[in-house]
Amino acid sequence: MTSRGTPSRFLKSVLQNGVGRYVCQLKRVSIIFSKNAQSSLGIRDFIEEGVVDYAKKNPGTVVYVSPQPRRIPKIVAEYLNGNVREEIVTNKTSAQISELLTKLSNQSGLDIIRIRKPQHTDSPSIQGQWHPFVNRPPSIGLIRPLKD
Amino acid sequence: MSSFSRSAQQWATFARSWFLIDARMQPPGKIASVCSVRLQGKHKPIYHALSECGDHVVVINSRHIAFSGNKWEQKVYSSHTGYPGGFKQVTAAQLHHKDPKAIVKLAVYGMLPKNLQRRSMMQRLHIFPEDELPDDIRANLTEELPQPREIPRKLSEYTQEEIDAFPRLWTPPTDYKMK
Repeated sequence: MTSRGTPSRFLKSVLQNGVGRYVCQLKRVSIIFSKNAQSSLGIRDFIEEGVVDYAKKNPGTVVYVSPQPRRIPKIVAEYLNGNVREEIVTNKTSAQISELLTKLSNQSGLDIIRIRKPQHTDSPSIQGQWHPFVNRPPSIGLIRPLKD
Repeated sequence: MSSFSRSAQQWATFARSWFLIDARMQPPGKIASVCSVRLQGKHKPIYHALSECGDHVVVINSRHIAFSGNKWEQKVYSSHTGYPGGFKQVTAAQLHHKDPKAIVKLAVYGMLPKNLQRRSMMQRLHIFPEDELPDDIRANLTEELPQPREIPRKLSEYTQEEIDAFPRLWTPPTDYKMK
């Protein structure tokens, strides 16, 4: 019924990324493919067409292109916080791979798990949180002595 | 700047208050609607359906509640024991005579949301037929809630000056015979 047992985190961004300037959290992308396998056809197309454009557009990201014989084609993305994501791109077309790479470079690298509350603030209240005695009108006073 | 540390702030925010409400001469439904809001925690700015932030409510004088109209005779409380022919029906007066807490309790129970939290919210409702409280409950009380209905005064509770000052439409003649 509920998803209480699943891993969860609170909503946040990495070091308030994007408040002043934006730092792309993707630091390294390795494109692993085979030079002659059929399943790597799309990624070979992408390397011919789009990978140089991608690397030029994202100067903060290192792009490795490593042909390895008889290997399942995949994209390994490493983030600044140390997380590594591997995406298998078997039989994907060039356009699909380009889309996937854009998605990977836009992500923060934080784990994609259930988010407990959809609200977050980087500037918590200076006055302090509410508690039952905040703004309590003085007219409430003490409990009257009950008749015994 | 708050004078709490952050953990104490958290405890203060989610601390449970204990409310006192006097049910003397009050309609049970109005008492119940006040109680159910407090038991669910809906009076708090931090209310969230998934965080159990309900408070405790202590109802005193539940023996002295007041139904309007003919409800003591006409209002019927039904239950079924589960056995064949086990359908019981009692009027409000009979139920109140058997258990002076039952009417308030059933009214609150019916007003709470029908979910898994209902039983635990009911455990935070404390009903007392008279106005005597055990010391451990009395020590917890933080606030007394205003009564939802203003209690009308009896003629015997007015002072003689107030009775004399009451505007009269007609002064009876001295030889007028009162029935």
